[in-house]
Amino acid sequence: MPDYNLRLIIPEIFLFLWALFIIAFDLGTKRKNPKLIGYLTMGGIAATAVLLYLYHGGISFNNMFKSDPLALFFKVIFLGSAFMAVGSSFDIIAQKIKNHRGEFFGLVLFSTVGMMFLASAGELISLYIGLELTTIPLFILAAYYKDDRISVEAGLKYLVIGAFSSAILLYGLSLLYGLSGTTDIVMMKINLALLYLNTNGIGWALLMAIVMVLAGIGFKLALVPFHMWAPDVYQGAPTPITALLSVGSKAAGVVAFMRIFIDGLYGFADAVMFPLDWGNIVAVLAAAAMILGNISALRQKNIKRMLAYSSIAQIGYVMVGMVAVSELGVGSVGYYMFIYLFANMGAFAVATIFNDNTGSDSIASYAGLSKSSPMISAFMAIFLLSLAGIPPLAGFAAKFFVFAAGIQAGYTWLVILALLTAVVSLYYYANVIKMMYFAPDNPTIKLNTPLSANIVLIIGVAGLIIFGVYPEPILNFALDTARVFGF
Amino acid sequence: MEQPLYLIPLFPLIGFLLNGLLLGRLGKKTISFIACTSVGLSFLFGLKFFFDLLSLPDTARIIENVFFTWIPAGQFHVNVAFLLDPLSAVMVLVVSGVSFIIHIYSIGYMHDDAGYGRYFTYLNLFVFSMLMLVLADNYLLMFVGWEGVGLCSYLLIGFWFEKKSASDAGKKAFIVNRIGDFGFLLGMFIIFWQTGSLDFKTALDPAVAHSVFAVGGGMITAATLLMFLGATGKSAQIPLYVWLPDAMEGPTPVSALIHAATMVTAGVYMIARSNVLYMMAPATMAVVAIVGVATAIFAGSIALAQNDIKRVLAYSTVSQLGYMFTACGVAAFSAGIFHLMTHAFFKALLFLGSGSVIHAMAGQQDMRYMGGLKKRMPITFWTFLIATLAITGIPGLSGFFSKDEILWKSFSSDYGSIWIWLIGLITAGMTAFYMFRLVFLTFYGEERMDSHTREHLHESPKVMTVPLSILAVLSVIGGYVGIPHILGGDNRFEKFLEPVMKGVHHSVEGEHALASAAHNGSTELILMVGSVVLVAVFIYLAYHFYIKNIAAAGKLRQRFSGLHKIIYGKYFVDELYNAVIVQPLVVGSKFLWKIFDVLIIDGFINGMAVIIGDMSTGLRPAQSGILRTYTTIFLVGVIVILGIVLIFG
Amino acid sequence: MDQYLSVLIFLLVGVGIVLFTFFIARLIRPHNPYKEKNQTYECAEAPVGNSWVKFNNHFYIFALIFVVFDVEAVFLFPWAVAFGQLGLFALVEMIIFIAILVFGLYYAWKKGVLKWV
Repeated sequence: MPDYNLRLIIPEIFLFLWALFIIAFDLGTKRKNPKLIGYLTMGGIAATAVLLYLYHGGISFNNMFKSDPLALFFKVIFLGSAFMAVGSSFDIIAQKIKNHRGEFFGLVLFSTVGMMFLASAGELISLYIGLELTTIPLFILAAYYKDDRISVEAGLKYLVIGAFSSAILLYGLSLLYGLSGTTDIVMMKINLALLYLNTNGIGWALLMAIVMVLAGIGFKLALVPFHMWAPDVYQGAPTPITALLSVGSKAAGVVAFMRIFIDGLYGFADAVMFPLDWGNIVAVLAAAAMILGNISALRQKNIKRMLAYSSIAQIGYVMVGMVAVSELGVGSVGYYMFIYLFANMGAFAVATIFNDNTGSDSIASYAGLSKSSPMISAFMAIFLLSLAGIPPLAGFAAKFFVFAAGIQAGYTWLVILALLTAVVSLYYYANVIKMMYFAPDNPTIKLNTPLSANIVLIIGVAGLIIFGVYPEPILNFALDTARVFGF
Repeated sequence: MEQPLYLIPLFPLIGFLLNGLLLGRLGKKTISFIACTSVGLSFLFGLKFFFDLLSLPDTARIIENVFFTWIPAGQFHVNVAFLLDPLSAVMVLVVSGVSFIIHIYSIGYMHDDAGYGRYFTYLNLFVFSMLMLVLADNYLLMFVGWEGVGLCSYLLIGFWFEKKSASDAGKKAFIVNRIGDFGFLLGMFIIFWQTGSLDFKTALDPAVAHSVFAVGGGMITAATLLMFLGATGKSAQIPLYVWLPDAMEGPTPVSALIHAATMVTAGVYMIARSNVLYMMAPATMAVVAIVGVATAIFAGSIALAQNDIKRVLAYSTVSQLGYMFTACGVAAFSAGIFHLMTHAFFKALLFLGSGSVIHAMAGQQDMRYMGGLKKRMPITFWTFLIATLAITGIPGLSGFFSKDEILWKSFSSDYGSIWIWLIGLITAGMTAFYMFRLVFLTFYGEERMDSHTREHLHESPKVMTVPLSILAVLSVIGGYVGIPHILGGDNRFEKFLEPVMKGVHHSVEGEHALASAAHNGSTELILMVGSVVLVAVFIYLAYHFYIKNIAAAGKLRQRFSGLHKIIYGKYFVDELYNAVIVQPLVVGSKFLWKIFDVLIIDGFINGMAVIIGDMSTGLRPAQSGILRTYTTIFLVGVIVILGIVLIFG
Repeated sequence: MDQYLSVLIFLLVGVGIVLFTFFIARLIRPHNPYKEKNQTYECAEAPVGNSWVKFNNHFYIFALIFVVFDVEAVFLFPWAVAFGQLGLFALVEMIIFIAILVFGLYYAWKKGVLKWV
């Protein structure tokens, strides 16, 4: 039996079984205690992280499953986002979801398992399966408020466009397979390069493949112009799920992008071999994302919609590092996503808490929050300032690396644009802070937060401050992932 | 030499954390004790290290302190490290010293404010950030401080958010500054890209700089210009000065500390720090000098017709900052820093004095409703007068030495020109005029306030007047560290800073510039006397129109029937003066303010915001919520990209 | 490109045959519509009402559960055929697989899905 190293997928197996266990537990117990299930879920995620630490490093299943530094790094992000999403959803479960509470957590875990497989995929089909396993539970979760029209609408929209993009992705992947004759990404890299050098006329087929795969993954990333679903779905879905969509699922898209483009299509990243390389296409899309995301966010009145557009813009910044296709590029993207985890999950956690207490998502209702809940306001300010890239918070270092990678790779115009749009972005982040701190206070209630949500907030703030001041460990780890691509 | 320099910024940080985390749980006394002590300790440690620095030989005056490696990523090696050289030593002492005085003053000024704890928390955070800015030994860490002070400025401008204008002003300051930061960051990227380092030690080493940049080359010019853009944002120069006048919405001690004495001078500091690079880009130097002097006269002339006491001072600050940039632009970096220091003393004093007045006037800021406060508030008056004399450049006070140094350098330097000097000189005249107009309107003449306010007029408490007195002493003696050669001194300030100004040194080495400066001794003296005379004339004019004329007009009314001719004649002369000198000045000033400042520059920046905002609204219809549209856009996206790629590929 | 030419020809021929058949059918069939003939075919019963009616959700859930076990059977066949060579490992794997599916059935049962309301 060659190459079936099951040890490497122990974390995934465990998390999967734990998800089943959570569902069974909910099914089996008479007295429904949502908190207990929640803590069990969080514990399971933590345990998976430990297992991940114990069992990693190596390749299994004939290159289908790679437990390399890249996979490890992103799995940490996935587990982190799932942990924080679960942690901030206790009140929602208790208040708004009467039935199927266990399934809520179970589905989150299933999706996380999908992300983990995706991150380890060394081959197109397992990558695709991972992607689907990530997305399908999220369709259901987005529509989890069954009686809320907006939530159901969100789920439906996500489903339809997800299926649509999935088909396009699959078409692109099959073209890649057709051209290279293999689904193994490393082999594909070699075969495509050879084929391109030896044959004339596969250029357009390859371009089609590139654009289609880009569209398919662009959907996960909410990259312009494949972003249209994001604001509606983000707004309608339960807020912790929105957070998971915007961090975990996005990070999954980022790692898929890296596996296919930076690894498999490495030779076509710049114009040396190829007249119209994917680097330039992605750079243009990144520019569009930064402009459109930031400008659209300006006039949003709903905090979840604002954060949706902000995350569209953020992925534009990530792509600046991506197109660099270098050690610093890959490392900075990883670092960016890691920091983004803390900032965005934190911001959404505050939005969740606020909604649980007041029932409102409108930015205007945050007026005067700093008086009634100074701590949470301060946390929110830190999350938003980090998203805006204000030092010494980690968001600044993240942006700095990404831009430096872009400059290094010669994408000066893109970095200039990125810096300019970052100025615009400050406007809408500062607007929320202005509301909380500088607005004559509405009678706002003091926010009550469950312990789990407090844990989430503290993790978020601590991460931003610690890794802003002392980014060394994460940064080295992130740069280490670039070794996977031979940089 | 290695010393624990981190102790300097550490205490304000502790103060910030203590006050911030225990917000609302501490009494006022404890809060102010924590805040003031922490800044005081910073100042004491600053002094200690300053004397350590002095004990070193001239050429080796550098104290370093590598705290830890911040970013270790291969080619990106950035330390959290502090550097104390003569330049940063001056800045540290000015920042911590003036901050300490203003902290003390704030105890009295903010005493009845509901946000007392919040105020001191922000203020400590500000001092911490500012100290990081000036102590940083690399651009990135400097930028951290740079953003930190911007954030604090934002929080403090919007401090009294009950006024909508205050929170708007705060946001405006924050965002206009970000535009400048955009330039700073890009400039920083270019420097890193070219020299491979952001450390001052490497990037600002003349040898390194000369090996990677061509003198006057495009790359260095771009980098320095972009960084200058950053400086114009932070230091309120054309075209990004618009936020500073609005920033006066904050509490007055904040205006004194952040928007006059310390933060706004960060741009000057940054350029002086980067003198090696700037000296390699003559085109940028010309831009700096021209922008500086243009801002000086522009803001100075706007100040002529303002009626709000703080607005006069705000425009005056912009104008004085223009002087500092002029100095940098003509390669007189140490003169710029010298003026920075003296300006910190007297402008802080002016703001605090105006704060004292506003405090007494129960919040009234319009000078037309003041007057005659001299007797009511003697300490405030005398200290204010000293500061006014200092800023106008009366011989013997600090402002005289520093301003004169700048004027002389802009005349004599290789980078200077007679035009820059001339504009600088006119601005000096204007300064004298508007400052004395302010003094006369506020402290002399009739008491024009309503009776209720008049009854409550009082001198401020000791906790406010003592800081005023200290600053007054500094405003007088602050200049004596830099007495020019011509007056028998040996300009020790410039000598002290010389090791830092490697760029200047590098370019004039062995050349005639130093010799010619000594040669033109008599010219220097003539120019000096000329500027003093001009200032005196303008002070007289202010006196004439805001004291004497008013009195004359009053008498005119009394003796309506007698001595027609003489009075008429006198009146006629006054009218003439008025028509020829004052009215054009006032009208021109109002024009600049209303049309140029408010309408064009401010309008442009606000307009940009509106346009971008409208684009935001314009993008909404696409987000219709209709699933069919979304899928169509998705598909069209794929097809369009494919089409473009296939056509151009 | 040459190897794709055959694919293209195959596609064209495939589409062509379908179109051709329809065309031939149209040529040779009698054309005689009447009311009963135009009715929707519904297992020889006369259709009642509109065909656009809401179906009970349970149909879908039953169908889904059926599909699961259908797929399971599909997996079981090759496994059974190759069982001789695969040995214990495969047996354990299949037991786990079936256990997961059984859990699914148990879950559905417990949730009351199998009860027709």
